Amino acid sequence: MLIAYMVRESTAREAVEVQRDENLRPRAFGGGEPPSPPIATEEPIIGNSRLALLMFLGAEAMFFAGLIGAFIVFRVASTIWPPAFQPRLPVAVTGVNTLILLLSGLTMRRAVKAILAGQSGRLIRYLGTTAVLGLLFLAIQGYEWVRLIHFGLTLSSGVYGATFYTLIGCHGAHVLGAVIWLLVVLALARRGSFTASRHTGVVLCGMYWTFVVALWPILYGLVYLY
Amino acid sequence: MNRRVVLLVALGLALVLIVPAVTFACSVCLGGADGYDPLTDAFNWSVLFLMAMPYAVVGSIAGWIFYSYRSAAKRRGLLKKKAPALRLAWNHKESGR
Repeated sequence: MLIAYMVRESTAREAVEVQRDENLRPRAFGGGEPPSPPIATEEPIIGNSRLALLMFLGAEAMFFAGLIGAFIVFRVASTIWPPAFQPRLPVAVTGVNTLILLLSGLTMRRAVKAILAGQSGRLIRYLGTTAVLGLLFLAIQGYEWVRLIHFGLTLSSGVYGATFYTLIGCHGAHVLGAVIWLLVVLALARRGSFTASRHTGVVLCGMYWTFVVALWPILYGLVYLY
Repeated sequence: MNRRVVLLVALGLALVLIVPAVTFACSVCLGGADGYDPLTDAFNWSVLFLMAMPYAVVGSIAGWIFYSYRSAAKRRGLLKKKAPALRLAWNHKESGR
């Protein structure tokens, strides 16, 4: 006890504490490797909203698949198509309309790239261009529909008219919904709601627009050309 | 277990290719097997298309999700090529014996 009091406190601490040498730490069998760094979880790679919209687009794809399947049955079962005494569809004008819609897909993609780069001015310009092209597409489709109805092709005129208006009409309704969504996003963009770090609304609208644009050439080829 | 599964699949494919009449369980297919009927043909194509669509849709979504995660992991440098856990000797010279 007398000897313990004669020792300095720091010396006593060194004698009592176990030296923690890193080299003496037992290693894993076979040497082991340092654990891999965890993936940063500040933001998920695919956000919940994008995943939800993907599921919705999958359901929409199956909806159109059902309509296309029904069209295939009527089309392939008929030996003469279009049936006799039915007006012919405007293939050339709708071909130009197809190019307009494809161009709108390109401008929409540019709009998404602009907001990812934080360029709000370019975003507004490209969104506006996309909206104009989408409305032009709908206007031309509507004008052609009025002409077809005038020439006698209606929803109840037969299988030809029923399948045409059902398929093309459903797609037109989706384009109308996409245009309305796009106009809302454009209004929000003009208010400055979107930045490089807050761009989910634009990306979601772009995904839906891309779906609607990508679907049209399939319907055009099937209904107008085949 | 794997061998059994492979044998069963091969047997099923062989039945379809060699003896197709055995696999005609659907009355529509059996009814249209004798001659060419446009309506049967139309239903066949429509059913094939609708059968393929769920795989196409789900495969596209899953593929895109997989691609997104792989490209994100590559960007973060997590897909490094690791050294093999066990170095195998291909001939007696490499084994050092």
